[in-house]
Amino acid sequence: MARPQTRSWTSQVWQNRHFYLFISPFFVLFAVFGLYPLIFSLILAFNRWDGLTEMTWVGLSNFEAMFQDEIFFTSLWNTLVFGLMYIPPMFAGAFLFALALNSTWLKMRSVFRAAFFLPVVTPMVVVSIVFFLLYGEEAGLLNFLLAKINAVFPAFPVKSIPWLTDENWSKPAVSILLVWRWTGYNMVLMLAGLQGISNEYYEAARIEGAGAWARMRYITLPLMRPVFVFCTITSLIGTVYMFDEVFVLTLGGPGTSSTNFGLYLFNTSFTDFKFGYASSMAYTVAAIVFICSLFVLRFRKTDGD
Amino acid sequence: MASGTYKGRFLSLPRHSRSFLVFVCVLISLSAIAQPGPLTVGPTRDTTGELQIWGWNIAAASLNKLVPAFNERYPHIVPHVNMTGTNLQSRFLLSLSAGVGAPDISQLQLREAPRYSITQKLTDLTPLASKYANAFPPSFWDNCLHEGKIYAIPWDMGPCAVFYKTRIFEQYGIQPDTIETWDDFIEAGKTLLDRSQGKIKLFILPTGSMDVMFEILLQQNGGQIFDEEGRIAINSPQVRDVIDLLRRFLESGVTANVQSFSHAFYAAIRSDMVATFPLAAWFGGTIKDYAPDMAGQWGVFRLPAQKPGNLRTSNLGGSVLVIPDQCTQKEAAWAFIEYTLCTPEAQIEQYRNFDLFPGLLSTHQDPFFDQPDPYFSNQPVRRLFSQDIFQIPTLNYTMDWFEAVRYVTQALSKWSSTGMGPTDELLAQLEAKMSRRLGREIAPKTAEAK
Repeated sequence: MARPQTRSWTSQVWQNRHFYLFISPFFVLFAVFGLYPLIFSLILAFNRWDGLTEMTWVGLSNFEAMFQDEIFFTSLWNTLVFGLMYIPPMFAGAFLFALALNSTWLKMRSVFRAAFFLPVVTPMVVVSIVFFLLYGEEAGLLNFLLAKINAVFPAFPVKSIPWLTDENWSKPAVSILLVWRWTGYNMVLMLAGLQGISNEYYEAARIEGAGAWARMRYITLPLMRPVFVFCTITSLIGTVYMFDEVFVLTLGGPGTSSTNFGLYLFNTSFTDFKFGYASSMAYTVAAIVFICSLFVLRFRKTDGD
Repeated sequence: MASGTYKGRFLSLPRHSRSFLVFVCVLISLSAIAQPGPLTVGPTRDTTGELQIWGWNIAAASLNKLVPAFNERYPHIVPHVNMTGTNLQSRFLLSLSAGVGAPDISQLQLREAPRYSITQKLTDLTPLASKYANAFPPSFWDNCLHEGKIYAIPWDMGPCAVFYKTRIFEQYGIQPDTIETWDDFIEAGKTLLDRSQGKIKLFILPTGSMDVMFEILLQQNGGQIFDEEGRIAINSPQVRDVIDLLRRFLESGVTANVQSFSHAFYAAIRSDMVATFPLAAWFGGTIKDYAPDMAGQWGVFRLPAQKPGNLRTSNLGGSVLVIPDQCTQKEAAWAFIEYTLCTPEAQIEQYRNFDLFPGLLSTHQDPFFDQPDPYFSNQPVRRLFSQDIFQIPTLNYTMDWFEAVRYVTQALSKWSSTGMGPTDELLAQLEAKMSRRLGREIAPKTAEAK
């Protein structure tokens, strides 16, 4: 543009107002639905507010209360346990299925791909009904099968499992649901990663005499690292803010045994109406997640690219 | 750019754009003028209005059915009843908070009414509603007040009794009229368990959510979570008795560990998993819904007492109607509430059609209460439920009631899964935790239970 540089930026904006108008929808929507809530909840974190009466400024006392809040720590601990319980089997399953779908010997690949992805798009309410039928202590399918097994091998009796009614079993119960639900999603990501690896590497390796294991060890796994990192970060964040799986299956119970952070946040704000306190927790945990993500990203950089 | 340019631009706008801008400005100033006023004068036959009413499932259906009769009294008021389901609570909160979007009338659970009464966002109904102060049981009415002002009107309540399957009781030789106390109840359960080779349990008590049973027993024996000044009063002899009773339930092995109101829970209405449901009157409607073909196979006996001769009823649940303060047609809204909740004909109609047990005491004299119910083996169950309702102690609900009950549920869950330690220890911990978390004082201990 042949305009003198001295013109102020406001007049430049005015000059190009039509173009700004065209890109404005995103910024307007982001400002209303993204930026404003973000800033408002930051302000809330330093206030006490029940949503109905006047807000009162309380400084850092929300954060102080948080460090004495055993349920907050329980929920973080539960989140961690959930992550450790379901992410490894889910990753293993997703990777194996992706390998199978990427191989040439499998027929009807699109059918399998759709089948594995189906749990992701199935409404949670429907899923919960099915899992209730599986997990029921008195009349559930899993315990029915256990009873059948007991009938065949009476020497090793196994008691029926109180999946949803015992504090020790609620986490495995939710984790099984999570593995079932999210394996397909990660499988699709990993499949995309596998398909992105050029066949030339494998051909070259084959000519050099590398076996199947060597090809996996030295080509597939290293080149899949960015995908693994991405899946790890999304799963990590997903676990922290997971809500509907726990909400429909256990409501965080029995006791607090399956209350993860997302559910505790919901209860604090929408059951107890403590919006200020909930915001302070949300910001704290967001900071923790941010730091963890940086850590995972660093792992990607060390010797990857 | 000078402001003169803007003025010039406004004037150079096409005529219809100019008038549109002016129209918007007028609208904005008008909306500022149309402020809702207080409710002081009652409605007349000529009162007009179009009411938005929020309620959930059966309750909403019940109100809907009353509209024609209501319109005979107030022909110019048009009520629209919406079933808003599970989102009602959040949506109601948001609309109150935003100052717009609330319905003209909303249903609330009795136990959540106090949380809204204190906010000044509900209409003060005192001028017109004070004449009904003695029309409802005190245990119900007291929780509709805040600082002496009336913010809610009682609707249905949940007097408790035991629903039982007559076939099972007959088959295993159990007499319902021999059960007078909870300990008799447990003994009956043991007999049942023995004679059915361990197949049939007595009732459902989920260790992970004992709050339902806890609340029934607590209100039955006059225990409290909060005293009248809002202090933590859970470490009391009454609550100790309740916990010890829960312990006896669990130790006896007569209970089934199934989540309350889960699919398996509802399935147990039809199956032989349990023989009884100690619950509130509204559960009768649920049983009829789930098992219409089991008519005549169900009976009801009064809630067992905690000690011989003590109160044989309690309350669980119940709801109220409120008018948000932002409502601009308060007279019309009050007309609807007064008709549906404060007239015996409307309340009895709701009980007849939807099993909503009327809080309005004058209905209890109606011959309808003495009619046999064919579903419940021709017992006059309505009379049974209404017995001693006046003696049910008031449970002090507070704005943080739900949070408090959650701590109780969590503590009981942990207690039951770790071998049920001493009651005193449990209550001392619970009391300390509640005091810390809710920021409330601990009530001074009285020497002995009343």
